Amino acid sequence: MWAFILRKILYNIPVYIGALLLVFSALRVDDPVNAYLGQDAGPEQYEQLREAMGLNDPLPVQFWDYFTSSITFNFEEESWNQKGTSVGEILRRSVIPSLSITLPALVLSTVIGVFISLIAAYFRGRAPDRVLMVVAVLGMSISFLVYIIFGQFFFAAVPAVNGWAFAPFAVQGYEPWFAFGEGGGFFPDRWVEYCLLPVMISVVVSMGYDTRFYRAVMVEETGRDYIITATAKGATKPKIMFVHMLKNAMIPVITRVMSTLPFTIIGSILLEMYFNIPGMGREVISAITNKDFPVIQAFVGVFALIFIVSIILTDVLYAVFDPRVRLS
Amino acid sequence: MKRLIKNRAWRKLFRNRLAVASMFVVGVYFAVALFSFAGGITRQDTQKRVLPDKFPGWFEQRTLDDRALDAEWLIERVAARIERAPETEDPRRTLDEVSLGERRVAELSIDELQSIVDDAYDRLDGLFEVLDEKDFILDEVLDKQISIERLQEREGMESRIAELNAEIEELKAELPPFVEAAAVEMEKVDEVLLQLMPMPTGLDGFVYGTRTFLGSDAQGRSIAMKAFYSTRIAFQIGLVVAVVCVIIGTLAGAAAGYFGGWVDYIVMYVVSVLSSIPTLVLLGVLVYMFAGSTVFDNPAEKPGLALVPVYAAMCMTYWISTCRVIRGEVMRIKELEYVQAATTIGFTRPYILLRHVIPNTAHLMFINLSLLFIGAIKSEVILSFLGLGVKGQPSWGTMISQAKEDVSTYFFWEVGTASLMMFGLVLAFNILSDALQDAFDPKHVS
Repeated sequence: MWAFILRKILYNIPVYIGALLLVFSALRVDDPVNAYLGQDAGPEQYEQLREAMGLNDPLPVQFWDYFTSSITFNFEEESWNQKGTSVGEILRRSVIPSLSITLPALVLSTVIGVFISLIAAYFRGRAPDRVLMVVAVLGMSISFLVYIIFGQFFFAAVPAVNGWAFAPFAVQGYEPWFAFGEGGGFFPDRWVEYCLLPVMISVVVSMGYDTRFYRAVMVEETGRDYIITATAKGATKPKIMFVHMLKNAMIPVITRVMSTLPFTIIGSILLEMYFNIPGMGREVISAITNKDFPVIQAFVGVFALIFIVSIILTDVLYAVFDPRVRLS
Repeated sequence: MKRLIKNRAWRKLFRNRLAVASMFVVGVYFAVALFSFAGGITRQDTQKRVLPDKFPGWFEQRTLDDRALDAEWLIERVAARIERAPETEDPRRTLDEVSLGERRVAELSIDELQSIVDDAYDRLDGLFEVLDEKDFILDEVLDKQISIERLQEREGMESRIAELNAEIEELKAELPPFVEAAAVEMEKVDEVLLQLMPMPTGLDGFVYGTRTFLGSDAQGRSIAMKAFYSTRIAFQIGLVVAVVCVIIGTLAGAAAGYFGGWVDYIVMYVVSVLSSIPTLVLLGVLVYMFAGSTVFDNPAEKPGLALVPVYAAMCMTYWISTCRVIRGEVMRIKELEYVQAATTIGFTRPYILLRHVIPNTAHLMFINLSLLFIGAIKSEVILSFLGLGVKGQPSWGTMISQAKEDVSTYFFWEVGTASLMMFGLVLAFNILSDALQDAFDPKHVS
């Protein structure tokens, strides 16, 4: 077991370095210094700023700094774009807003998706199944952006502008909905106001993909031998579906959830940009458009680490819970 | 071709009526894209002013007030030019600069045009007089409604409220004559507008109709032309990305699956590295790589090259899914008897890979082509919204993201057109992918 884990870790160290190296070298193609200088800055100021940004060091030295700070979680470096703020601070303050949208969205879409796919699989080939699958394909064909624009417009902007009594959602923005310590507390109403609408949009968007995937899993599961056995011994169809099948179908469901779990940390970039939520996704995209290298690099370092750890964990959990998986 | 028709899977595909219908839809889109690519719709077409700002499409009725404002806008626009035209070298060209697409200023002498403009201003004054009176009544109605609302908060004011309500009804009864009068005045103004800028007829009329039937965006540019041009951009991005990714993915995946060992390790290493960075972030960073280059950042002169960063970023990221699928399939195929037979006969391994193994993954290549096409179109929209995608020319993504401000003023034509066009194409491809999946790879779990 331990050898298996060790082998996994050893295999993934080059992957981690590769991810860092890829982003690092992609960022070194274009010179960012001019973007931070005024119109009439001379070559002296250019050199000064370049030196201060650390871009004059040899590339291996720059990469070594990046690598060591990534693995030691030393994010004290100052952001280029947001002066006076360290990269670590940006990461810390933007994790919670991201997670307060993506985690509920993941849970909700999984639960609803599994439920709908069970209905579809139960009525396999008949009208309810067909209608659900047609709706799923239609829903998948609409752009994410369209859902966001019209979702915000009809559920937040129209009620707010017309002063309706029922206007539970903010048009945009974010307020912390829980805090620790002095003056802290838990404010679910704030979560509803700022996060529920993005969560709902995100659930609706992923619904089409999720339902189709889970339905395919369920349909495949209905062809297995144990279902025939259960039918033969006289179990009712609902019982087979919800007791025998659901348990077995959970394996691919959990695999899918596990594989999307690391992505919850970047948040939904589009939702955060559109609703002006100060989460990870918005920070990293604005870092890219503002050429803020320390933030992009630190972000990729953190994400790659989380991603790799979650992959190793998934493999290990498989090995622990499913004895059929060979540890080779 | 004969072999293809005989193939059971292809027959199954062509018997699927929905699949054939969606192929037809894709064909129509492709025809539009080809027409634009052949020079039928150029980038200049998408930048010309053809209407007032945010003019609605063909079935939306405009209010009299809006029409009056548009008429005033048009007359002022032309009048300014007519005043300046005699001083310029070529008066006709000066006048043509204010033409709206094919709708040009009438071929009359400057003096005649001037008299038409004067007439137009007179009629416009008449129109606004009537409209002002109508607005005056409406204002009064509004005032009374506000005072009713205030009175409702207090007790014992029922009689006063009823009185006010009656007064409102009286005022509203006065309105219709004014509205009718305004309509008559509006017609008079329209008449003179047609003298000033006659509607084009014949082929020009058809072209102008196509330009205007979906309305105009916030700068008065034709939404229809933008949407048609975007179809071409979508096909360019979709085809380039899908074809390149399928080629890279198939070669890498097949090599990894067939040779195993070090080749497999290296390919899977690259795949793992690419998948450990979030796609959108990776796309953004890769697009950024090209940001400083003046070769790729010059949409005015080389609109085709301006798309290269988008192509490159997507091609470098999206091949990994195809690679994974093909690798798995090749690992299965290489154990089959016919491959072993070929090995025993003594064919070289690269020959077997190219001649026997890769052709048998063709069905997966087709399915992935279709899926990647959808993926590329959808990512284009998202990248353009984030400011990392198509620049300097319209695409469905730029249309949707530019129109998001218009939505707040209840103007849905631009965002609606772009979304619906995109919806149609993506839906057709989704149905096609499903049909391909059903026909060629029925055992697959999505």
